[in-house]
Amino acid sequence: MKHRRRDEPVLLARRGVLRAAAAAAFVVGGGAALAPFTFAGSPGDEPAATDTFEEVYRGRHIRITPKRTAAVGEPPVEVLIDGRPLHVMRRADGTYLSIANHYASFASPRDTARAAVDAIGTAQLSLSTAHHH
Amino acid sequence: MYTRKNQRNLTRREKRRFVDALLEHKRSGRYDEYVTMHGRFFSTDIGDGLRVAHMTPSFLPWHRKFLLEFERELQEIDPKVSLPYWDWTKDDTADSSLWQDDLLGGNGRNGDLQVMTGPFAYSSGNWTINEGVTDAPYLTRNFGRPTDPVSLPSRKELEWAIDDPTYDVAPWDSTVQTGFRNKFEGWTRSEKEGFHNHNRVHLWVGGHMTGGTSPNDPVFWLHHAFIDLVWSRWQERHPRGTYEPKRRLPEDDPQHGKVVSLTEPMPPWDVSPAELRNHRRSYRYE
Repeated sequence: MKHRRRDEPVLLARRGVLRAAAAAAFVVGGGAALAPFTFAGSPGDEPAATDTFEEVYRGRHIRITPKRTAAVGEPPVEVLIDGRPLHVMRRADGTYLSIANHYASFASPRDTARAAVDAIGTAQLSLSTAHHH
Repeated sequence: MYTRKNQRNLTRREKRRFVDALLEHKRSGRYDEYVTMHGRFFSTDIGDGLRVAHMTPSFLPWHRKFLLEFERELQEIDPKVSLPYWDWTKDDTADSSLWQDDLLGGNGRNGDLQVMTGPFAYSSGNWTINEGVTDAPYLTRNFGRPTDPVSLPSRKELEWAIDDPTYDVAPWDSTVQTGFRNKFEGWTRSEKEGFHNHNRVHLWVGGHMTGGTSPNDPVFWLHHAFIDLVWSRWQERHPRGTYEPKRRLPEDDPQHGKVVSLTEPMPPWDVSPAELRNHRRSYRYE
């Protein structure tokens, strides 16, 4: 069953189509194409990602940077939305979730960041909400 | 022993008392402790720690205890109050009774997803979000997740979970494809498959319910009361069914120390799944 607010036009939003239309990826630094990294398969399989990924998605700035070290269970990436960190976690099947999405998981840090933007409306991520495991 | 009612059957007076108890609990500062506790106990199934609340067999008894503790505090405020439940296989639209202004208020608005109606709207002055994923002080909802639409789980999908006679199976995490617990908790192998039952309801409500501070939305309690009821329903359907794992996992098991067996205590309390097997000592469902 589809639920729309009454003032919204009918939109058949197909995942991927809507996101691709909204995302405006741009190149950082030199002219080389960015390779946004996606990790499939088991943890430990992923190639060493050395590039930073940036885009503006639905008006929000996403920046994903590889980290050299990470705590157990945390993927070796830093995800920022409008400059604020998004706490990202990993599941045993290799997919990702975040503090903004605790009941779904995604194939890549980029998809996780976009889903967080979808979930948080127009607000900024909190700098103070502690999230312990 | 008291009764937990279907929210659609609450009288106007019962709704008023429930809402008032929530607002008082919030005003006293105790409500936000439940928000942070739930966040503290979210861990995923990668890593070495004990996982007791999600992606694990004790998902059901942990939340049963979590709700019981919360409900008892509400009853200290008003002894006549109990947690209502939301049967989302039946009350599955944005206009259902629970979303009216005399109970939870309605959907969030466009843009900031802010809830503008009912007792938990920020504009009412009585419900400020202090422990949120974002800086926003207002409660948010986003029914149906319009950017990538989802529907509430159907009765058929729920039955698919309840029909499984086994409670849970190794490796006791979010990847298992059989057993009642994960079919009901709702983790699947990918976003393409979607997520089932319990998880999907969190996604459908959206806003705070989608994230790590989900108890900020009081619908959390009504949703989890139904989750709790369905656990009982599973037990009735399968009288010989039992919580698994029954015994402590041996040291060479990869999940040793990560999941709680039937008689082991669940943090932060000293109570085991076995002790929470039967809720009829405390409450019944109408």
